[in-house]
Parts: sequence; C-alpha cells; structure tokens
Amino acid sequence: MNDKPTTCGFCSCGCALYVEPRKSGLGISGLCPSTTHPVSTGRLCIKGWNATTSLIRVDRLQTPLVRKGNELQPASWEEALSVTADVLKRVISTSGSEAVGVIGSAKTTNEECYSLVKFARAVLRTPNIDGACRFYDASLIPALIDTIGIPASQIGVEQLAEAGSMLIAGANVMEQLAHIGSRIQDAVENGCKVVAVDPRKSRLAPQAGLFLHPKPGSDLTWVRALLKTILDRKLYVDAAPQMPGFEELRASLDDVVIGVLPQVCGIEPEAVVEAATILAENEPCVVMFGLGVLQQQDSTILVKALANVALLLGGYVMPLRGQNNAQGACDMGVLKDYLPGYEPISSVETRAKWESAWQCAINPQAGLSAIEMVQGGVKALLVFGENVALSAPNTEQTISALEKLDFLAVSDLYLTETAQLADVVFPACSFLEKDGTFTNIGRRVQRVRRVIDPIGESKSDLEVIVGLASAFGKEMATDPSAVMKEIAATVPLYANFSYEQFETGWGEPWRASTPTPRLAPIHATDLPPEEPDYPYQLLASRINFHTQTGTMSARCGILTREYPESVVEINPSDAEKLKLRPGRVVRVSSKTGSLTRRLAVSDAVPQGCVHVPHYFGGDSANMLAGYECDSISGVPVYKGLPVKIEAVS
Amino acid sequence: MSTEVQAPTLTGAKPRNMWGVTGVPTGNLYVPMPAVIEKIIVETPDTKTFRLRLEDPKHAEWFTWEPGQFVEVSVFGAGEAPIGFASSPLERSWFELTVVNRGKVTGLMHELKEGDRVGIRGPLGNCWPLEDIKGKDILIISGGCGLAPLRPAILYILANREDYGEFWLLYGARTPADINYKYDLVEWEKRNDFHVLQTVDVGDESWTGNVGVVTTLLDQVKLDAANAVALTCGPPIMIKFATLALVKMGFSEDRVVTSLERYMKCGVGKCGHCCVNHVYLCTEGPVFTYAQLQEFPETRA
Amino acid sequence: MNVGDKLILKKNNVSDFFYSLQEQMQLIAPKQRFAGDVVFDLVNSPDEIVWEYGHDIYPPGKRYLFPHYEDMFSYRQGEQIAIDVAADVPRQAIVGIRSCDVTAVRFQERFFSSPIVDPFYKTRSDNTVLFSLVCNEPPKKDCFCICCDAGPYLESGFDVQLTDLGDRFLYEIGSEKGLDVSEPREKYLEASTEQDIAERKRIELHADSLFQTASYIAKAIIYITSDEVPDEVWEELGSTCFRCAACTNLCPICTCYTVDDRPEPDGSFTRCRSWDSCQYAGFTREASGHNPRPTFGSRVKRRFYHKASFQYIMRDGRHGCVGCGRCVSSCLTKLDLPSVVKRIRRAMHDYIEPISKPTAFLE
Ligand SMILES: Cc1cc2nc3c(=O)[nH]c(=O)nc-3n(C[C@H](O)[C@H](O)[C@H](O)COP(=O)(O)OP(=O)(O)OC[C@H]3O[C@@H](n4cnc5c(N)ncnc54)[C@H](O)[C@@H]3O)c2cc1C
Ligand code: SF4
Ligand code: SF4
Ligand code: SF4
Ligand code: FES
Repeated sequence: MNDKPTTCGFCSCGCALYVEPRKSGLGISGLCPSTTHPVSTGRLCIKGWNATTSLIRVDRLQTPLVRKGNELQPASWEEALSVTADVLKRVISTSGSEAVGVIGSAKTTNEECYSLVKFARAVLRTPNIDGACRFYDASLIPALIDTIGIPASQIGVEQLAEAGSMLIAGANVMEQLAHIGSRIQDAVENGCKVVAVDPRKSRLAPQAGLFLHPKPGSDLTWVRALLKTILDRKLYVDAAPQMPGFEELRASLDDVVIGVLPQVCGIEPEAVVEAATILAENEPCVVMFGLGVLQQQDSTILVKALANVALLLGGYVMPLRGQNNAQGACDMGVLKDYLPGYEPISSVETRAKWESAWQCAINPQAGLSAIEMVQGGVKALLVFGENVALSAPNTEQTISALEKLDFLAVSDLYLTETAQLADVVFPACSFLEKDGTFTNIGRRVQRVRRVIDPIGESKSDLEVIVGLASAFGKEMATDPSAVMKEIAATVPLYANFSYEQFETGWGEPWRASTPTPRLAPIHATDLPPEEPDYPYQLLASRINFHTQTGTMSARCGILTREYPESVVEINPSDAEKLKLRPGRVVRVSSKTGSLTRRLAVSDAVPQGCVHVPHYFGGDSANMLAGYECDSISGVPVYKGLPVKIEAVS
Repeated sequence: MSTEVQAPTLTGAKPRNMWGVTGVPTGNLYVPMPAVIEKIIVETPDTKTFRLRLEDPKHAEWFTWEPGQFVEVSVFGAGEAPIGFASSPLERSWFELTVVNRGKVTGLMHELKEGDRVGIRGPLGNCWPLEDIKGKDILIISGGCGLAPLRPAILYILANREDYGEFWLLYGARTPADINYKYDLVEWEKRNDFHVLQTVDVGDESWTGNVGVVTTLLDQVKLDAANAVALTCGPPIMIKFATLALVKMGFSEDRVVTSLERYMKCGVGKCGHCCVNHVYLCTEGPVFTYAQLQEFPETRA
Repeated sequence: MNVGDKLILKKNNVSDFFYSLQEQMQLIAPKQRFAGDVVFDLVNSPDEIVWEYGHDIYPPGKRYLFPHYEDMFSYRQGEQIAIDVAADVPRQAIVGIRSCDVTAVRFQERFFSSPIVDPFYKTRSDNTVLFSLVCNEPPKKDCFCICCDAGPYLESGFDVQLTDLGDRFLYEIGSEKGLDVSEPREKYLEASTEQDIAERKRIELHADSLFQTASYIAKAIIYITSDEVPDEVWEELGSTCFRCAACTNLCPICTCYTVDDRPEPDGSFTRCRSWDSCQYAGFTREASGHNPRPTFGSRVKRRFYHKASFQYIMRDGRHGCVGCGRCVSSCLTKLDLPSVVKRIRRAMHDYIEPISKPTAFLE
C-alpha cells in the first residue's frame, strides 16, 4: 500500500484514500479511506469504493494519436506535439490568436489548470480560454462575487453537521454528493431543520422537515416571495439593514404578490412563511443549491436571490458543485472573463499585474465562452479532459460544429466521443497517476499523489501543456510543486500553500482577505412562454453512480450494474393519460432534439414533468437542450425545458 | 460413478456428482474444463442450443450429471454464466445447453461458432427428484426458456416411460416464434403415452393452437392430484400462478417442485449472490418443493 | 513448549524476536501512516510496528486472506493456463491484529471450508499466523466486541496472543501454528509468574469496564429469525442508505464477492474476484430485469438476516458480527449494527432508554 493517501477524484467532497496497487499488471488490489481526514473520516461513497478500477484499464489510450487521412493512428509524443504546435502557429499567423480556443476541465489539478491558463493567455495569446464549468455551474461565479464576495462555499463539509437549518434547492444531493448528504443527516440528527425545494421528491425526503415542490422554472417567484416574507416580518439579523444594498433589495421586491404562488409555483403561501420562519429561527442557516438552480434561465439572478436569503439571515452559502476540482479550476482562472484568483480581465491593473508576472502582453478582449467555442467560434480548439461532444448542449449540432473545425486536439483518458472527432489525441493519465492538488467543495486545497504508474505512454495534462509550450519556445514549470510556488506567489487566495505544508496534514481551506457582503436587488423576470406543442417539462438530475458523461463511471462493473440503463421517468398518472406502459420505449423531444429510452413510472416525479438522469453515456438530456443560455453567465438551460413524450413503434 | 453427495440438498434428491463436493477434475474449484462446441441449433431469434464435448477424456469420464443440475459456462473474454443442462442425461459423450442472449456472456456465446471452445464448471446444484417420484403421475409446467432445464427430465422419463404413470407437459411461450425445441415437440405430440399441450400469449396467422397464459391449460389436464407430482420452471410470475392453481387442484405443497433462478457467480456456495435467506441455491438448490420454499420468507413475495 | 503455554516476551526482546520471525515469513502489522492514520501493512523492519493503536478501519484479517481484488487465474483465448496461486502466496504473520478480527478470521475460515473448500482462501490461511494483541484500552468509541464474545481478549482462536504488561508481553500460545513459530525462538521467551497472570487479570477487568457501546442483539435475533419486523420498519431504515457498501466491504465477517474477467495489456485475461455487497441493487438483479430484492429496505433486511438470525447462527456457528465497530465508523448514515439493533427493538417497543446516558454513539 502507498504510504501516503491521495485525494479521490470522483466528486468535489474530496475524500482522502489509500490505494494499494496490484502486485503486477494493471489495477489495484485494494483501497481504504483515511480515518483522520476531515471529510472522509473513515468513509467513502460508492464511487470512491469502486470507480478507481474504471481508470486503470487496458482500453485507456496508450499512445498519442494523430489523424492521417481519415483515421486516427498511433504516433510518438514528439509528432503529436509538433503537429499540434505547427497547426496552432499557422492558424495564429493566418487568422490571429482569436481563432484559437482552449477548453479546460474541472477534473484536472490546480497546477494543470493554472498552467493551461498561462499557456492560453501568455503563449497562445488567445482570449478564448474557458472551463467546462460553463456547461454546469459557472453562473454562480458572478452571482456570488456580487453578493457574499467569494465565488465559493463559505463553509466546509466538516462544518455542515453544526447547521441549525438548511435551505436546499434544486440539488439531488443525496445521490450526487454522498458525504454532504451524510452530513445533512448528521445535522438533522443534531436538530437541524431542513427546508428542501425540488420539483421531484428526491431521496432528501426523509431529512426534510418541509419539502416544497415548485413547478419547474418557477424558482425565482418563490425565492422572491421568501425574501419578501423575511423582510416584511423582520426575520433578518440585526446587521442586515446596515448591509449595502438592503434598501435596493427591498425596493426590488415591491411588486411581489404572494397570492400568485399557488398558480405560478404550485406552492401555498403559508409554506413559504413556514420556510422563512424555520430558517430564521434555527441559526445558523446554510443555503445550498445545485444544478437544478444553476442550469436555468436567469440562474445568475436566482443564485443572487438565494445568497440574499443567507445574508439576511446571517447564514452561509454552499453551492453544490459536482466535479472534483470545479472550485480549483475556477480559482485558477479557467474562465473566459477572469484571470487566476477571479481578477477580472476587463481591469487594466489586473492585466498589468499578470503581464509582468508572465512577461507577456495579455489580449484584453473578452474571450468566447466554451459554448461559443464548440459552436464553431474558433478555427482550432484544444480540449483538456472534457467530453464536450456530450457535455455541451445541443449534441447533434455541437458534434457537427466540432467536425467542421480546422483542427481539434483533445487530451483525455479514453477515446471519448470528442476524441474520436479530433485531429490529435493526447493520452492523459488519471489522478491516480500524477501529483498535484485539488480544491474541494469547502475550498480545502489538498494533495493528489501519484499512487500508480502512468498507463502506457500516458502523461499528465501538465506535461502535455509544458510540451506544447516548449514547441512554442516557451519554458514552463514541469514540476507540480514549482507550479504551486508560482501560484502562491501570484494568486493571493493561494498565498499560504506549499507542497511542504501538504506533507504534514490535510491542507486547509483558502481564505479571501475580507470579502464585503452586499445584498443584490432581485427584480422579477419574465416567465418562459407556454409551449402548447411541448406540454411536459424536463427534469434532469444526477445519479449517484455516474459522473459527468459516464466516461469513467460507465467503465466500472459495479457502477454500471447498479444503473445498467438510463430510463425516462414520469408520474404514473401521466403514464395512464398517455396510455404508456412502463418498459415501453418512448421518445422525448424538444424543439432542438430528441432522445429515445425506456419508460419508467415514479411517484417521485410530479405530474407534467419528465425526469431524465443527467449526462448518461451518449444519449443524455443534452440532446434536448438548445443553445439558450443564462444571459449573464452563459450557462446553458437544461432545466425546465419544454418537451413532449410519445411512444416509439 | 462417484459416491453420493454429502452437501445438504433440501429436496432430498441427491445428485451423484457435484463439482467441488465430489472432487474437482481440474484441481481447482474455479478453473473450468475446456469444451468444444460440436453443433449449434438456432431455436428462436434470441435462443441457441449448443452441443458441447469436454476436450479432456479424463474430465469427460468424471463428468456425470442429472436432470436439473447446471454448469457455469466460461465464455473466454466475457466471464461465466450459469446455464442448465438441456439434453438427455443418458448421452455420455456430449451435452447440450440452451442459451438465451441476454447480456455480456450469453451475447458473446451467441457469436461463437462450431469448433470454438468454452469452459465448463459442473455439474452444479441438486436435481429433479426423478428417482423419488417413480410410479407417480407427472405434470410438467413450463414457460418460455423454462423448458430447457426440464428437457433432460422429460427425455429421461420418456426413456424410462414404464417407471412413471400419466405424463403431461404444459408449455407456454410468448409468441409462436419463441417456442423452443419445435423438433422435439413435434415428436412428443405424436406419442400416445405423453400428453403435450401448448399455448402462446400472442398468436400469429399461422398459429391454430391455444392462446393464453399457460395456467389456462390446467383445465384440460386429467390426472389424480393425490398421486401426482408437478415439476415447474419458468418466469417467477408464471411459477407463482401455476403453484397456486396446482394447490387448488389438490396437489400437496411437497408435490409441487420448482427450479429457481437467481443471479449466480461461483456456483459453489461462496460468493453469496444466490442466497435466499440462509439457503444457497447453487449448492442446496436450485430445485425445491413448494413446501420448502415456505421456509424462506424471501421467496414469499 | 506446548499449546496453552503462557510465557513472557520482554519488550527489549521484541525487536529481535520479530527480526528472527521475519526471516521465515513477511510481517504484516499496524504502521503509522499519514496525519495520524494507522493502517496494517507489510513492515520492512519490526521497529515500524505501532504497538499502541486503537483500531484499523481496513480489516487486516480479511484483507490479507481474502483481498479486495484477487486474481484467480489468467487465460488466453482458446487454451487456458491455470495460475497456481499458492506460488504467489507468501508466508505471513499478521502481528498486532485485534481479538475481534481474529474471531472473524476463524469465522471466515469455517465459511470458506465447508461444505466446499475454497482453494484460494485455504492457501492463504494455511500460510498465515495470527499474533493477536489484547486491547488494554479498547477504543472508547464504536466497538463492542464484549457483546459479541469476540474480545477484548481471547480464550482461543489465536495462534499467539500478546498482552502488553508494561515492560513485557504476556505471550500465549493458542495453536500448533503458534507453537511452530514459538519453539525456534525459545531464547526470547521465558516463563511467566503468578504476578504476570494477576496483572493480566487486572487488565482484563479494566478493559471490560471501558466499553461505552453496548448492543443487546439477542432480542433483535429473535425478531429477525421469526421475520416479525414489519417491512415498513426495514423500508424506513433503508430510506437513508447511500448504497456505498462500506458496511460489508469493511466488515471482517462478510464474504460476498463478484467475478470479472479483466483484459490485460498482453491480450490475455485475468479472472479476478472482488468484494461485492448485498447492499447493491445489482447484487441480485437477474438477466430478465427482475430483482428479488428491489428496495433499499429489502437489502438492509438481507444484511441483518445474515448478521443476526438463528438460521445463520446454526449454519455459521455464531452470529455474523464480532463487534469490531467498522460499520459504525464507515456507514455514511446510521445503519450500523448497534444502531439497527436498537432501532428494531425500539420499533418492537422493548427498547428502554438507558438512565445514565452513555456518551458513545448510542445516543
Ligand atoms: C440455475 C440457473 C440456470 C440457468 N439456466 C439457464 C439456461 O438454461 N438457459 C439460459 O439461457 N439461461 C439460464 N440461466 C440464466 C442465465 O444464467 C443468465 O441469463 C446469464 O447469466 C446472463 O448473463 P450475461 O453475462 O449474458 O448477462 P450480463 O450482461 O451479465 O447481465 C445481464 C443481466 O443479467 C444479470 N446477470 C448477470 N449475471 C447473472 C448470473 N450469473 N445469473 C443471473 N443473472 C445474471 C445482470 O444483473 C443483468 O441484469 C440460468 C440461471 C440460473 C441461476
Ligand atoms: S457488523 Fe459491523 S461491528 Fe459487526 S463485525 Fe461487521 S463491521 Fe464489525
Ligand atoms: S451480509 Fe451481505 S455482504 Fe455480508 S456476507 Fe451476508 S450477504 Fe454477503
Ligand atoms: S455503509 Fe451505510 S450507507 Fe453504505 S451501504 Fe451500508 S448501510 Fe448503506
Ligand atoms: S452462486 Fe455463489 S454462492 Fe451460490
């Protein structure tokens, strides 16, 4: 067994586990959780227990691949890197650096994310660098910076059990983030009162003192009503009226009519009053929200509204982000509009600082978002560790746009759907095979350690980035600890971290200097128009057993066995109305696309809704989504989409 | 032939041979015996019968089995699946397995050709109590691919016809295309010492026989329930309704015998997949009387 | 020297004793890991052994006799080559293993050898000697071996049992295997005195008094055996399960496994077995899609039927829990054995809240 633990790379909880490599050949012979680590405390979820085996397999990419004629063929690293660098140089010289785009991932290490940003901005000089979080949860960044002051959770996983009350909106947390779910149960045992809000009766139900089931898409209406109730009944903490923005918030809520709640949201006004009282009376309150909130029309405003609830009640905000390094990737600036540490690209001083740090001129232009890039906004695209063909919306069009690119290079563990479209594929190694750090959901920066040797000729994304940079004649640090030194020197949030420190303990959460909270005004927005041809609304949720597009988890025997096929769920009464029997193959279609699956019925799904698990190998809810996005953050709308459902003969 | 099996089997029917209990010809419980596919018969669109011969003569000599027992088939590259014997136990040089294509192992097996090799561990499990029920009237009820594990029993009884009384077979399939062993059924229907009734859930143009679930055929059966034994195998729901109907007809609970199917991996009572309450179906079953099943709360649902 | 002898191993001889043992077999013992974690592992030098530790989350007896992932044999398409596992099973001494885990090893040995002998388990267990270490100070949380007749010290079952008496260990020989490793090391051992035995007695009483967790399982066994616990109670219990399977993975009693054929880089396949769990829905789902244990409740019920029913006690010779407390510390919710036993009894109305509240997890 390895002497030192590593950090699990399957979700943002960030457990510490020890891995025992197999004596000879690929694989492991065992693993166990750390008992002293503040998150794992001797426990792991089903993914931690099983999914590592999915990373260590012979069908992992063994060598770089380069497209020759119509086929991807094995190639040497030198060839793959030089082909890529040559094409990029040519595109930049003929069409400018804006014609090149880079998409990073929320699964790679902080050191890789930082180096990728540096490579894109300082070597390629392109403004087009963005992260996979654009497809998931980027809307929380501007919203939380404008309210609580930091685009991250205010508390750690280990503090959740002390919460007095919780507001949990649009998050399938029990299935998605088991350790958070576990702490919610602990909190409830300690007397915490949970107000859960989800159109679907999720597995949170046994913990929920109050469970509201609003109609999909009506969230802003009930949150505004909740805010109004807190203000009108003076349930806020004494300090709230002094907070900047208090009066503007009050004024923005003037037009709230509590009476419309039953009609718009399907919620009784008394329930909102009860929720407000529970949250105000049981301190401290923690406001949590997940993709149900983050992938809506107007998600930025909705996040601000929820953050207001926490601020008014003197509570804390914890966004429920799924991917293991979602936090770190954003901290490192894998974002189109920020440099590392959330320093806005639009600011002259910020640019000056980074220009001197990186010894280069930074393109001041606002870059394209990941979604704009995959729609064909660039000529050449580099994708690191994200299966964009499936995780971007509008699957069909996205794939054809990727096919039309002049050049696509992909770094991934497997020959994913995206990699199959690429001109160059770099075999990346998994988190088990490299050193680095991840930042967990509670901002804890933790060490990832190489516990097995890289498979085949695979290399870490850091090595790929450094290799590309050197093909451009630029030296970048190859050693993760040296990269961390550079990060600590340039990103104030990470100023305290060094690899020496990680050798003695479990790391610690990064701290922002002194965020000044402010309340944001929450104006009403228009409700989406009714679509008589598409009478049902889509609910997409995560399931415990698969993460993201299933590239990793669908390769694990136990996980696929638990959830062998993805189904479409509707309420039994709708099934009766549609004369559809469970087991029947049905087609769910939206204005954009359609998907075909077997039907199941469940009381947990409200009438008028169709539930499809999110991101499930190849044929996911993304097929149905168009390119409509939240106007502020550019996160696509996956939730509450109008759809119809019919039998396939 | 080896000595009697010592492992506890609940029906009282003790097979003479059981992998691991009466020894292991390969030296290791988990290492299969290689076998060659001699012939493949396509039964229905998703079902094929494979005729297999053990490659090693020493293995073949050791290998005796009884109707109701099963083997773990290794399809190399995919894994193992439990499959019941489907041919006559009197044929010593080869045996047949009828396999429905349902997933990884069975799917890959369907791609194999004559001359290809598979691995065999078995015989596993207990058997139909054919010795104990000599002299009795026999009623066999089976649905879909549930006929496969009963076929050795049928062939054995037909070969020893004088040892048994009245002999009835009720067989239900989903559609006419799903009927297994059509070539056997034609022959069996010609016999006057064997009453064969067939039905399908959904008929087609060519089908002139009964339509309806298999239990509807019970009205046509004429035998003395007090002196009869029923052997059943098929989908759980069919077994459930058949058993209820049989008990109503006057069959006592220890005269209704069924073969259960559970997810199985090891076949030797170790992996735990096949447990029903405290009973390991792979070594103590899969054949049980209805009376015995009453003792396992987990089968009541 | 005889089985049953109670000898003394002076602490200043411990190192030499185990160096000499190491010449014969590899030593597995508790080792200091990162940030205070203690996990059993192969030790390079006996001086690495941590003699004072509470409990290891990763059950050493199970892990070294029935590993989480175990290669069974490998083959190539067409012909197959059986791999002789015995060749790659080293002789090993598990040193410092706790009483509960020794009891669990004996449980698994019995299970894996009757009525059919599992060759992989047998080879490993034949090659393993257990040096158990009495819990002078049972960890105050979680474990309850004292209610399960499995600790904190043993009357039998160990090969050698060590009790820390300050500057020396009481060294008890419990089996022929224990005798075999002791005789050649006679020079490190000496006779014990009455005072040593009295000291040991005092430690026993002290250790017994420290338990804060109690599990009165007998009543639950009666309810489970007779299938009296209503399904609604099981479903309510199951409603919070996360399906992680830690409760069975880390349980030193649980034996369930699954089998996979894994492709290797050289084109061959390895048939590998790995721990499986009745807490997974896929554990029993059949090819037809039918699942005989379709709900969380039915699966929790299954686990407790195996842990605490008279039917299994008859099969296994004891109930399926040694009170190691690993399910207590590893379950993401509260479906560990003592909690479920308590909740069953509460549901059946015979649970009386203790008057003075124990501080442990019971409350
Ligand atoms: C005693 C016994 C006798 C059987 N006899 C026959 C027979 O004569 N003919 C026949 O066609 N089938 C028979 N079966 C069923 C057959 O074993 C399964 O169809 C087969 O194991 C499916 O394996 P697979 O790898 O093809 O499917 P997979 O791809 O592994 O899985 C498909 C589905 O089957 C389930 N499954 C996987 N492995 C098993 C397993 N070992 N046992 C049960 N379910 C499993 C999975 O959970 C999944 O839902 C028998 C089963 C038993 C227990
Ligand atoms: S049931 Fe729990 S306490 Fe008992 S032996 Fe298993 S893990 Fe230990
Ligand atoms: S409790 Fe479950 S996992 Fe443990 S041995 Fe029994 S059936 Fe197997
Ligand atoms: S450890 Fe707890 S949460 Fe995990 S499967 Fe067992 S009972 Fe369920
Ligand atoms: S199939 Fe493994 S125990 Fe029965």
